[in-house]
Amino acid sequence: MGKVNDVLQRFRGMPEGGTIVKDDAYKAGIAFSMQVPAERLREVAAVLNEMECYLESMAALDFQDTFEIVYHFNCFEPRSRFALRVLCGHDEAVPTVSDIFKTAMWQEREVHEFFGIRFADNPDLRPLLLPEDTDEHPLRKTFGKVNAYRRREEIYG
Amino acid sequence: MAEQFLEPVVENVYTLNLGPQHPSTHGVLRVVLDLDGEFIVRTDPVIGYGHRGHEKMGENRLYKQFMPNTSRMDYLSGMLYNHGYVLAVEKLAGIEVPERAKYIRVICSELNRISSHLLWFGTYVMDLGGFTPFLYAFDDREQILDILDRVSGSRLTYSYCRFGGVCQDLDSVFIDMTRAFLKRLRSRWSDYENLVTKNIIFIHRTRDVGVISLEQARQFGVTGPNLRACGVAFDMRRAEPYEVYDRLDFEIPVGTKGDALDRYYVRMIEMEQSCRIIEQALDQLPGGAFLNPKVPDRLRPPKGDLYFGFESARGQTGYYIVSDGSTMPYRLHVRVPSFGNLHVLVEAFQGTLLADAISTMGSVDLVIPEIDR
Repeated sequence: MGKVNDVLQRFRGMPEGGTIVKDDAYKAGIAFSMQVPAERLREVAAVLNEMECYLESMAALDFQDTFEIVYHFNCFEPRSRFALRVLCGHDEAVPTVSDIFKTAMWQEREVHEFFGIRFADNPDLRPLLLPEDTDEHPLRKTFGKVNAYRRREEIYG
Repeated sequence: MAEQFLEPVVENVYTLNLGPQHPSTHGVLRVVLDLDGEFIVRTDPVIGYGHRGHEKMGENRLYKQFMPNTSRMDYLSGMLYNHGYVLAVEKLAGIEVPERAKYIRVICSELNRISSHLLWFGTYVMDLGGFTPFLYAFDDREQILDILDRVSGSRLTYSYCRFGGVCQDLDSVFIDMTRAFLKRLRSRWSDYENLVTKNIIFIHRTRDVGVISLEQARQFGVTGPNLRACGVAFDMRRAEPYEVYDRLDFEIPVGTKGDALDRYYVRMIEMEQSCRIIEQALDQLPGGAFLNPKVPDRLRPPKGDLYFGFESARGQTGYYIVSDGSTMPYRLHVRVPSFGNLHVLVEAFQGTLLADAISTMGSVDLVIPEIDR
């Protein structure tokens, strides 16, 4: 639990750092989650790279009012996973972190093709898993069969 | 003057499509390689041929109905994927699991891990030109498939776990077969060592080939045996112990250099460690129920999200499930280990010989349908 506490301390001290939710019991599989404004994402990612964390997973969510991208980071120590949450409107772009974490290059390509979220300054946003001429975004809640399309506060509220 | 010849001659680049039907790509993977002579100057893996939309399917199914999908992502370690999925949903919905079921799952998962590593061992050595070890490995693997077939009724896509337990209890025949298999497999280690591990051709094809540094592994999110070959003892079974792994004694093998030979060693030792885990779990196997009968068919987990990480045969796998309180997940994302393990090859291939690239690609143990989802 060493490094993840260092990371937490570092973010506590950051001016206008987002809301931090701690989870000491590790109930949701993460030590803490932090909401980051999109324009500060690159700054936070650079700090995490310096502290030798790695980007484990990147998942986007489609809500009626907003997109949410959840970045899961981890750092080769027991129980040290944490999440960054970035909200972005349906017609906004998110800054890329692909030049900071190389794995983000493919992860962002995947999120881009499935949700249509633009990553500003990512040099390579070709479709990864879908055919190269595809013009649909299949994981959006407006595509195909959909069970429920909710607002964000209905789940986290 | 000698340096002049080492400069890559950009205008003379030859583009080669490795795959999508090449036998050493292990699945439908195409790798576009730019070659300068026999040296690789640029790598661009093209994936997605096997995309089935598991994540979209997950949003339109009951939690229970998604179970068969999980073992079809990585068809070589289907039991491990089942296991991780039920653990994630059990944690999300707060379901109690009987002790016996936990041990049964660990035994079956570790058997599956050995079968996956055995298949990797056979096909990897075949990629390098040795055909005989492949037959030995498949002979051993067949025993595991028979054992798992006995309890789950299936050879690859098991769907054996259930929320709150497993679908069928172990019987004494299963236990006898497993113990006999472990004895047999251990008698094979010396054969494998003489055939492959000490083979000078094999060593020359793998030592210092396809080196992945720790920094590259971190940057690309490489996990599992490929990460441990770089010298980091990071294993989800230890880092975030689930089921009964904290009660079992096993070692986490690590390498030093992160080359193909280290990855080979790590996997071979891991098989022996899995044997130890199975043996201890069989000794400690308690009696009692194997399934919690109170789990409803239509689960309604409370609102919220959960990330559950576990160790599959290829590395760290994770299910990220967001529940809106209804009977179907709002979002189900799967973090697959082969994704990073393939992406890192973009750098690992740089400047190597084409023949070494085949060796490197085999050594990271890719399963393409897992990446494509």
